[in-house]
Amino acid sequence: MPDFSLSPEQESLRDLARKFARTEMTPHAAECDRAARFPEEIYRKAYDLGLMNLNVPTEFGGSGLSLLDQCLIVEELAHGCAGMTTSIIANCLALEPILLGGTSEQKERFLAPFCREYHLASFCLTEPSGGSDAGALRTRARKDGDGYVLDGEKCFITNAPHASLYTVFATVDPALRHKGVAAFVVPRSAPGVLPGKDEEKMGHRASSTSTVRFEEVRVPESDRLGPEVDGFSLAMRTLDQTRTPIGALATGIAQAALDHAAAYSLKRQTFGKAIAEHQAIQIKLANMAQAVHAARLLTWHAAWAIDHGARGTLESSIAKCFASDAALHVADEAIQTFGGYGYMKEYPVEKLLRDAKLTQIYEGANEIQRTVIARELLRAYA
Amino acid sequence: MEIVVCVKPVPEAETRLRPDAAGTALDPEGVKYVLAGYDESAVEQALLLRESIPGSRVHVVACGPAPRTEEVLRAALALGCDVATWVDVPAASADEPLSAARALASAISPHSPDLVLCGKQAGDNEAGVVPAALGELLGVPDLSYVLDVRWNAGASRFSLKRASEAGLESWTVPAPCVLGLQQAWNDPRTAKLPAILKSRKAPIARVTPPSAAADPASSPRRFELPPPRTGAKMIEYKTADEAATRLVRALREEAKVLP
Ligand SMILES: Cc1cc2nc3c(=O)[nH]c(=O)nc-3n(C[C@H](O)[C@H](O)[C@H](O)COP(=O)(O)OP(=O)(O)OC[C@H]3O[C@@H](n4cnc5c(N)ncnc54)[C@H](O)[C@@H]3O)c2cc1C
Repeated sequence: MPDFSLSPEQESLRDLARKFARTEMTPHAAECDRAARFPEEIYRKAYDLGLMNLNVPTEFGGSGLSLLDQCLIVEELAHGCAGMTTSIIANCLALEPILLGGTSEQKERFLAPFCREYHLASFCLTEPSGGSDAGALRTRARKDGDGYVLDGEKCFITNAPHASLYTVFATVDPALRHKGVAAFVVPRSAPGVLPGKDEEKMGHRASSTSTVRFEEVRVPESDRLGPEVDGFSLAMRTLDQTRTPIGALATGIAQAALDHAAAYSLKRQTFGKAIAEHQAIQIKLANMAQAVHAARLLTWHAAWAIDHGARGTLESSIAKCFASDAALHVADEAIQTFGGYGYMKEYPVEKLLRDAKLTQIYEGANEIQRTVIARELLRAYA
Repeated sequence: MEIVVCVKPVPEAETRLRPDAAGTALDPEGVKYVLAGYDESAVEQALLLRESIPGSRVHVVACGPAPRTEEVLRAALALGCDVATWVDVPAASADEPLSAARALASAISPHSPDLVLCGKQAGDNEAGVVPAALGELLGVPDLSYVLDVRWNAGASRFSLKRASEAGLESWTVPAPCVLGLQQAWNDPRTAKLPAILKSRKAPIARVTPPSAAADPASSPRRFELPPPRTGAKMIEYKTADEAATRLVRALREEAKVLP
């Protein structure tokens, strides 16, 4: 029989994240959203409490949590502010290629000093010419003596202006497509690393997103992760790990939307009674609750499967795709429940819709998730 | 220096409370128990003293039933307490202040602490009896409504402040003593994730006191929820000006408390 109960340890991790979200994130969410402010002081506090670098083993200074434990934390943080959460968990994404593809010497060299103090890292895969087709990278890694020279541009890179470390995917030969992609660790201090300026975004405005140019950046061979031909696979295996927490992030947004809508429905009166007493609103709330619950369970299941050794491509794609669609729908219904007030920036629900939208796009757009789900599914029938 | 800090598991502030079937106590079903604010301030004070007095140790003690008592002891360990003792008594005894004080005193006295810290009152029934009763049972001075405790090694005394309605008093008190701490004056720390994980695996000593029965004479006869409040009126507003205008209008025209 499956067991859905959380251990006391998991309850206490969730309590920590919930308390942090309620006391440190929620009170600043609207202001950071409005001003597109990157609240570094909050990110430092998250680091101090051990809420960053969740996936890095404790021996390298991280929190060393299972994927399910990470998901419990991410959902709570996202309930406070999805944009801040994107920036808090970006390190997990950026460091995962080192965890999966790095030698023990590389892990010791890169992860230990990085995790010892507050630092941000960025995962650099997407390029202006395309994100979904990660085999068509144009950023070049030219072999040069005992190393490589990187040349090209990445875009939509979370935390890039503030990062001290980048994991970068580049091609040694575009004609080789997937088989030409290699992965590198590049410090911000390397000459020629040029993060751009913050993009003006629809949501996740407390997070920072920019281009990064690599202009003739020299990288020693010792900073390449895995074999030269392994970069594409490393990127995909990384996303197999980090996609599920995006499901948890979307679940957190959806739960926040439901919480706001249910509380408002009990206060707002029309036709002489609380709108919660109108059946149309009850049905709305019931459907929202179903979506939130299903999103959470799919996320937990994917995390559980991966924690038990599955690659989890199918499970994590289902979780991410379903939870992000659910988040958008639930946020939309929350606005509807609020009526005109829901459309006003003064109330918290329109932000949730803008924040939810991104979860359908990043870490693999949902069209790509569905392609993956169908591929894995049809394999079983072929 | 051996510092003992006593904590009590109390329902989380957001809990929806209801009486049990007998109508004499809170129904614990589905209730999440946490450290109360007073106790958080007491733990923080204990940790601050330990940080300022070399070679000292903080021993957290709580009485009550499983699992709630273990949960708050682990929360205190995660905050940095060194060792924990669980005094295993039924909920009714932990809620009755005199039997709680007896249970705590029986567990504390073998350790001959130099200082015993408590919240000045429990976060749930707010009886405020345990610090004074503990002082009596341990045969040491006690003082409550205390904040900002410091150790004066030269004089072998604690110097502390006491906040009363009349003002702020300064005291010096000899060791050993029992102090009941005020809430929220020292910005209690938050436990960090690695400490939380470590606290889950820490050993907790379990002791059972010689007699653990609650004294019916000092236990409540009935427990009821306060009647729901009625007559509240929410004022909708967009700006502070609008809020003030509407509030003044309501006070003048509806409540008729302003001319
Ligand atoms: C705020 C933000 C933060 C981000 N952070 C990072 C980051 O830290 N690191 C990083 O590397 N990237 C990051 N990204 C990039 C993100 O992962 C990409 O935007 C995403 O993968 C989609 O790529 P694209 O924007 O190039 O869209 P495209 O690939 O151009 O796709 C456009 C549309 O076509 C659809 N589509 C494409 N191919 C197919 C197909 N074969 N079948 C069906 N439909 C298809 C897509 O689903 C999409 O709807 C971020 C993006 C945003 C907006």
